[in-house]
Amino acid sequence: MTSIAMENMDYKQEVKNKTSKPLLWIGIVSIVMFFGGLTSAVIVSQGGGGFINIALPDAFLVSTIVIVLSSIAFHLGLLATKKGKQQQAKMAVLATMVLGLTFVFTQYLGWSDLVARGYYLSGTSQESSYLYLLTILHVLHLIGGLVSLSIVLVKTFKKRYTPQNYLGVEVSITYWHFLGGLWIYLFFFLMYITA
Amino acid sequence: MSTHHHHHEDFLFKYIFSTDHKMISKQFLITGFTMGFIGLVMSTLFRLQLGWPGESFEMVELLMGSWQENGIMAPDKYLALVTMHGTIMVFFLLTAGLSGTFSNLLIPLQIGARDMASGFLNMLSYWFFFLSSVLMLISLFVEGGAASAGWTIYPPLSALPQAIPGSGAGMTLWLFSMAIFIVSSLLGSLNYIVTIFNMRTKGMSMTRLPLTIWAFLFTAIIGVLSFPVLLSAALLLVMDRMFGTSFYLSDIYIGGQVLDHAGGSPILFEHLFWFLGHPEVYIVLLPALGITSEIISTMARKPIFGYRAMIGSMMAIGFLSFIVWGHHMFVTGMNPFLGAVFTFTTLLIAIPSAVKVFNYITTLWKGNIVYSPATLFSVGLVSTFITGGVTGLVLGNSALDINVHDTYFVVGHFHIVMGLSAIFGMFAGVYHWFPKLFGRMMNNKLGNLHFWTTIASAYGVFFPMHFLGLAGVPRRYYTNSEFPLFDNMVDINEFVSTFAVIALVAQLIFMFNFIYSAFRGPRAPQNPWKGTTLEWTTPVEHIHGNWYGEIPAVYRWPYDYSKVDENGEFLYGDDYIMQTTPMGENENDGGH
Repeated sequence: MTSIAMENMDYKQEVKNKTSKPLLWIGIVSIVMFFGGLTSAVIVSQGGGGFINIALPDAFLVSTIVIVLSSIAFHLGLLATKKGKQQQAKMAVLATMVLGLTFVFTQYLGWSDLVARGYYLSGTSQESSYLYLLTILHVLHLIGGLVSLSIVLVKTFKKRYTPQNYLGVEVSITYWHFLGGLWIYLFFFLMYITA
Repeated sequence: MSTHHHHHEDFLFKYIFSTDHKMISKQFLITGFTMGFIGLVMSTLFRLQLGWPGESFEMVELLMGSWQENGIMAPDKYLALVTMHGTIMVFFLLTAGLSGTFSNLLIPLQIGARDMASGFLNMLSYWFFFLSSVLMLISLFVEGGAASAGWTIYPPLSALPQAIPGSGAGMTLWLFSMAIFIVSSLLGSLNYIVTIFNMRTKGMSMTRLPLTIWAFLFTAIIGVLSFPVLLSAALLLVMDRMFGTSFYLSDIYIGGQVLDHAGGSPILFEHLFWFLGHPEVYIVLLPALGITSEIISTMARKPIFGYRAMIGSMMAIGFLSFIVWGHHMFVTGMNPFLGAVFTFTTLLIAIPSAVKVFNYITTLWKGNIVYSPATLFSVGLVSTFITGGVTGLVLGNSALDINVHDTYFVVGHFHIVMGLSAIFGMFAGVYHWFPKLFGRMMNNKLGNLHFWTTIASAYGVFFPMHFLGLAGVPRRYYTNSEFPLFDNMVDINEFVSTFAVIALVAQLIFMFNFIYSAFRGPRAPQNPWKGTTLEWTTPVEHIHGNWYGEIPAVYRWPYDYSKVDENGEFLYGDDYIMQTTPMGENENDGGH
């Protein structure tokens, strides 16, 4: 089998430039539908009358603030990369990473709070089950974001990004902002159903 | 041109872990057909039981072993086979097998791209599909047997491992297999959409795309929007099974014991399931509609009638498919007003469907029709789309549906409109693009024989089912001979089962033709059907990258068949003009 232009690095780069972001966006659409399905399920279940008004853990409010800050930090990092200010970019991406990990930690605090109050993932309280399920699934998606963030972190420290070449940062930040938006949606949704 | 990466020459990377869309297409085709054949054999086996209940088929015992003791199928095995038949046909043959094969083969070739947006994701998509197929088949051999709750896996049968024999390990494997299948389907759809939007060659505007590509695009969009919801439904089900939650369960007794589940509702599962389930019908059907649009225009040697109307009607069908799921749930105690809303949205689908049928017929009308097996199967699709569609009007209407819900009327309806239409489209596609897949031609005489035996036996199987359903015979029952009410239905059941056996034999003709032609068929010319689209400009032998040198540019839409000048002479001396032919000076481009 003869290969035509397929092994050519220019061709590969061109395809990557053209398709990375659209691939991500359509992936995001499917994640939106996934959480859309689940939160619709909550509303249907709520009609069953089995909801008992669990107060949302305070830690989740802290999570919300932390994830907004992380998005801001990442955005500053992207701006610095675009301007070629590598030192600032390093600091900003590192800060994003720290804030991202802090978010996961505050989620853990929230779950511990729920456990301390006697609400579990399993059992007959659907409200409590949904609380765990939605937040855990969000964190699982966020771990994907952290993996992509750590690649950006390493590449930033190795000075692989230039003002001309920062596609990887853009893809990663798009997903990160999406995760922030998804959390904010879930936070207000959970506030609404637990109120 | 560069050939220094020799690893692509290796067997492993060429045939197994290939990232070339043409090879992945063949992998999907062969895996899909293998699964489809298994599903077909299953259906023939349980049709034997339904046609001649309690009769001993000792021949079958050789194949089925303990599943068919003394030649009689055990009731729980019957349920497992019905469930597996539905699952395999809907998902493995008609979703992955159909979309996976033709989206992969035709998207890059017809839009003028060297490959998919991501060859790697494409490869993953196939291997996830392969893994899920294997898991699904393994589930036949676990203790308790395969999942037996029907392909719709409604809880509580699917949620409680102790409910029926198939609810245990079989159901667990079913869920694992489907989760992996959904990932495969999403990866495929992602790739198809991005490739179509971003990798078209110069001049290939959206209104110059062949209808196949439009159909694959809508299919992929519907998949991306609906499969994640099935995943969420399956996830909640897994939670109920394994972590003691009560999303779908409430007030359940098993063996006199009350279970510790409260507050959930199985109806929630039906909502989530059918939010995927109905769009899934069009995930199965749209690729077949796209394939046959292309074939009918090519073989009638006429431009497709109403190109834009075809696209618009596919878009309308795709949109409507998301707001009709309630018509599967009219008997769940749904508010009659809501039922009326779902009836209304459902009946609206008749409009774009009728537009498509009209356009098919007007394209064929007075055409200079070339009869190939692909033409026959395409016209076969028009037939089944009509006969299956009209009974959809009955089932979509809540007042009528309630009377025939869960009877053989439903079985007859969806097998004709979705099953037969989709498989006819798939057969048409295989006959038509076989030269592109394998570089050889299939045998037309065997193909024609395959078509006539298949359509006769398919109608023989599914048409009488409507009468069974109107008489009240419920679907999924192991036997009908236990109910005096249905005693006069015995002959119809025998009739149906006889045709089911004939249908199976008819597929052996295809199988022989397919395998023989792939190795020994006559070599294909570059453009055997005198088509206008880009895939017929590629070399017959497969090369990674599809075209030697530059990718050709496109100057016109794909349906310039029998275009004549003012004297009635064919333009460019033939009855077709390739998309790569530049527009003549005074030529009318028809707005494309």
